[in-house]
Amino acid sequence: MSALEPPPGRASVPWTCPFCPLLCDTFGVDTGAWALTGSECGRARAALARFNAGTLSAQAQIDGVVCDRDAAIAAAARMLAASRQPLFGGLGTDVAGARALYPLACRTGAICDPAGGAALSHGSRALQDRGAFTTTLGEVHMRADLIVCIGAPPSERYPEFPRRCGAGAGGAAQVVVLKPAGTVVAEAVEPGIEVVTMDGDLFDIAATLAAQVAGRAAGDSADPLGVLAARLHAARYAVLVFETGRLPAHGALIVEAIDRIVATLNQRTRAAALPLGGDDGASTVDAVFTWMSGLPLRTRAAPVGLEHEPVRFDAQRLLADQAVDALLWIASFGTEPAPPMVDLPRVVLGHPGFAAAAQGRATVFIPVSTPGIGSAGHLFRTDGSVLMPLRAVRDDGLPTVADVLKRLTQALAEQAA
Amino acid sequence: MTVLRLRGGRIIDPTNAVDGTLRDLYIRDGRLVEAPLGEAAIEEIDVSGCIVMAGGIDLHTHIGGGKVNLARLLVPEMQRTGPNPIALPDNPLELASCGGCLPGTLATGYRYVEMGYTAAFEPAMMACNARHTHMEMGDTPILDHGAYVMLGNDELFLQMLSRGEDPQRMRDYVGWTINATKAMGVKVVNPGGISAFKFNQRKLDVNENHVHWQVTPRQIVQTLAQALRELGVPHPLHIHGSNLGVAGNIASTLDTIAALEGLPAHLTHVQFHAYGTDGPKKFSSAALQLAEAVNAHANVSIDVGQIMFGQTVTASGDTMRQHAQSGLANPRKWIGADIECEAGCGVVPFRYRDQNFINALQWAIGLEIFLLVNDPWRVVLTTDHPNGGPFTSYPHLIRLLMDRSFRAEQLAKLHPDVAANAALNSITRELSLYEIAIMTRAAPARLLGLKDRGHLGAGAAADIAVYREDPNREAMFATPAFVFKDGELVACAGRIVAVPVGGTHFVAPDYDRGIEAMLRKHHAANGLVNVDHLAIGRDELCGCCNGGRLLPASCFEAQS
Repeated sequence: MSALEPPPGRASVPWTCPFCPLLCDTFGVDTGAWALTGSECGRARAALARFNAGTLSAQAQIDGVVCDRDAAIAAAARMLAASRQPLFGGLGTDVAGARALYPLACRTGAICDPAGGAALSHGSRALQDRGAFTTTLGEVHMRADLIVCIGAPPSERYPEFPRRCGAGAGGAAQVVVLKPAGTVVAEAVEPGIEVVTMDGDLFDIAATLAAQVAGRAAGDSADPLGVLAARLHAARYAVLVFETGRLPAHGALIVEAIDRIVATLNQRTRAAALPLGGDDGASTVDAVFTWMSGLPLRTRAAPVGLEHEPVRFDAQRLLADQAVDALLWIASFGTEPAPPMVDLPRVVLGHPGFAAAAQGRATVFIPVSTPGIGSAGHLFRTDGSVLMPLRAVRDDGLPTVADVLKRLTQALAEQAA
Repeated sequence: MTVLRLRGGRIIDPTNAVDGTLRDLYIRDGRLVEAPLGEAAIEEIDVSGCIVMAGGIDLHTHIGGGKVNLARLLVPEMQRTGPNPIALPDNPLELASCGGCLPGTLATGYRYVEMGYTAAFEPAMMACNARHTHMEMGDTPILDHGAYVMLGNDELFLQMLSRGEDPQRMRDYVGWTINATKAMGVKVVNPGGISAFKFNQRKLDVNENHVHWQVTPRQIVQTLAQALRELGVPHPLHIHGSNLGVAGNIASTLDTIAALEGLPAHLTHVQFHAYGTDGPKKFSSAALQLAEAVNAHANVSIDVGQIMFGQTVTASGDTMRQHAQSGLANPRKWIGADIECEAGCGVVPFRYRDQNFINALQWAIGLEIFLLVNDPWRVVLTTDHPNGGPFTSYPHLIRLLMDRSFRAEQLAKLHPDVAANAALNSITRELSLYEIAIMTRAAPARLLGLKDRGHLGAGAAADIAVYREDPNREAMFATPAFVFKDGELVACAGRIVAVPVGGTHFVAPDYDRGIEAMLRKHHAANGLVNVDHLAIGRDELCGCCNGGRLLPASCFEAQS
C-alpha cells in the first residue's frame, strides 16, 4: 500500500462545519432536511437553515433585475474599472477565494477589510506591540487543567467550544468565566463551569489580574482575582480564552494584558492564550494576503507602493467618511452581515440568501457557492495553526467566489485592452 | 520539434564531473538532450563568456507555513523601504509583494529565480497544517518545492516510544505521516524538547529523559533515522539538534552524531550548534570539533545556517529554545505557540550586529565550518532563511567563501576580539566554482534523491542558471544572465520574463496501513483533527499547489 488516496466510492468522508472558526469535523449534515446530525450546535443549525432550497434565488441580478452571469460579471467589471478607490469588504470566502482576490485587489488598488475587521485588528495590534503565546484546540483538550474565559462563556457564540476543549462536566479542566458586573450571562452556563463576576470593565479586570499574577497588585490577595491568580500559578497548563469579536473599542489593550499574564506565567509554569475569532473567513483571507504580499489586510497596492494602514483602512470608517467610491462585498457563507446599504456602486458576491439585500440601484448581485456546502475549500481554524479542508455536500450549480473573481479580473483586463 | 542550444558556455556540472568544459547544451521539451543529429530546428542563445550550472537548490529555507506567516504578521514595520511603502513592481508579470527578510511568497519566488535558484524546500511542516505549507509553496511562483514533515515531538510518537512499541509500527507511523502530508522527508526539531516544554521542562540534553515520557532525544533520533532507512526515503533524517544557541552545545551535537550509530542523517543549521565555552566570555567556536566529526562520519551531511549582519526574524519550531532566547528579541516582541499535540513554534525578531562579540563569532563559526569540512558533497550552503539572514544574501556568502582577501577585509571590521582571535584568520582555503556548484545544487539534489535535478547531464530537467563571468563573485551570483526552468526562460539579467507554476516534490514510501486504526483512536480520544482530514490526496495537493506538477521522488529499496 502506498498513498492515502480515498478509496473510490466511499460515502462516509467526514464533513467540516464551515460556519464558525472551530471548524468541527466530528458531526454531519443531513442534506435532505438540512439538519445537523451528531450535534446540538445552535449556530450550525441556524446557518444550515439558510440552505433550504425553496427559499433561494440563485440567479444573478443587476439593479434587482435578473440577468445572466456573464452580463453581471461584465457590469461588475465596468463598475470596478470606473472606481478610483474601491473597497473590498465582507471577505466571507475561503483560501481559494482569497487567492483569486489578491490579483484583483492589486489591479484595482482596492482597500481590503473583512466584515470582522475591527475584531481582527484587536488581535493583530496586540500581536504587533508585544507578541503572544498561544495554543490550539487539541492542545487544550489534551493538556489544560485550568481554562479562564475572559468576558463571557465561549459557548454562547461557539456552542461546541466546551466539547472541543474537553471542558465542562466530566472534563479534565476547571473552567472559570471571568466577567464584568452588569453583563448578562446565565450564571450556570454549563455544569462544571464557574462564573466569577467582578466590578469594573474588562480593561480594569484584565489589568488587575495581570498585576495580581505578576505579584504587583496593591489589593488583597484574598479577593477573587488574587485567588484566581494563585490558581493560574498553581495550574500545570493554564489557558486564557477570549473572543475578539466581543471586545469593546480599543480591545487590543485587553488582549495585550492577557498576553502579559501568559508571559508572566510562562516564566515559572506553563500557560497559553487561545483567541476565538476570525469568523466567516476573516482570518483566512488575512493569512492568505499576508503570505502573498507580506502584509496583512488593511493594505492596498497604491501608486506609492504597498500601503499598510491598520487604523485608516477600516472599512466602516471608510464607508462612513465616503472615502471610497465602489464596494465589492463578498459573503459566501450566508452567516456574514448583509452588504451595507450605501449609496455607492456595489458588487455583491454572496450566498443566494443575500439577494434581497442586493436589490438597490447600481448593484450587481452574483450568487456564489458556499465552501463546505456547495463546494470544497479550506479555512483556518480559530487557533490559526490548522488549515481545515471543507467538503461539498451537494451540487448547488453555483460558481465559487474564486471562479467569479478570476472571470472578473479577466474581464477588467479585456476591457482595459 | 524545436531544440534550444545554449552555445559556448563553460559548464560546471559536478554530478557528471564536468569542471569548466566549453560545451553547448541542448534543450528539448524541458529536458537536456544529447546534441541532435541535425533534423530538428534549433534556436540559439549565445552564452559564451558565461558559467553554466544547474539551477540552484536550497534544501533548508523557511518559505512557507505557519511560523513564517506569523513572522510576517508580527513585524509589518519591517515591510517597508526606509520611510516609504515597498514600491509596486515595474514588471507587469509580477504582483506586488514585499521583499526583505520576510518576503511574501510571490517575492520569494521572483527573488530566488532571479538569483539562479529553481527549487527550495521548506524544512518544518506540521502534519496538522501541511495544507497551509503546500498552499504557501504553491503561491511561490516558478520554484519547485517540497517540505519535510516534523516528527519526534508529537505525543503519539513519544507515547509509542515510551511504551516500547515495535520498531515496525514506529516505521509505519512515520510512513503514514509522510504519505498523509505529501512530505519529501522528516525533520526532528530539538528531539523531544518541544513536547517537554509543554510539560514545563526547560532543558533537554541528548541523553536526558523527557520529564513525562521518559525517553531521550538519543532514542528519538535513532528511531526516526532507522524508520526512514527502512522506508527507503532518500533524504535522511533532517535534524535540528538539541540545545540550539547554547554555549557548549557542541557536546549535544557530537552526542547526536554518536546516537546515529552510523545511520544516515542531515544535521541542519549546524552553525547554531557548534559553540564551545572557552574564553573570557564562555562562548567560543567549536567549528573545528564539528568539522572533525563530520569528516570522520560519512553518514552525516550538514547545512550551515550562516548568519548575516542586519535585521531578521528567527522562526523556529523549537519553542523551548525560542522561549529561552525571547529576552533577546529586537524589536522586543515575540510569538510562541504550542501546537496540536505535535509541534510548536517560536518567532523572535533579531538583529545580528557586527560589533557584538557573540554575533561576530557566530559569523566566523559559520564560515569556518564551510571551510573546514573536507567533502563538499556533504555541505549545503544555507542561511537557514530567514533565521541566519535572508536567502538574498547568498551571493555575498559565496564571495566570502571564494575570496580570501574579501573575507579578511570583512573579518577585520568585526568586534575586535573576534577580528583578532578567530580561527578563521588562519584559514586560507578558497572554494572553487566547482565546490560552490556542489554546495548549491549537486549536493542538495543528491541528498534529496532528486536524480534529474542539480545536474546538466542528458535527461536532466532543464533547470539552468547562466552566470556571466565576473571576478566579483557576489555580483556574478546575484544576477545571472539567463535562468531556465524546465527549459523555459524565466529570468534575464535579474528580470522575471515568465511565471510558470512550480512543481511539488514528495515521496510516497510503502508502509503497513494497519497503523491507521491506532491513529484514528488517538485522534478521536484527544479531540484532534479527524484522521481523514489529515491526509491530503493527490488531487487536493494539486489544488493547494496551484495546479503545479506533482513530482514524486522514488524511494530506494527498503533496508531492514
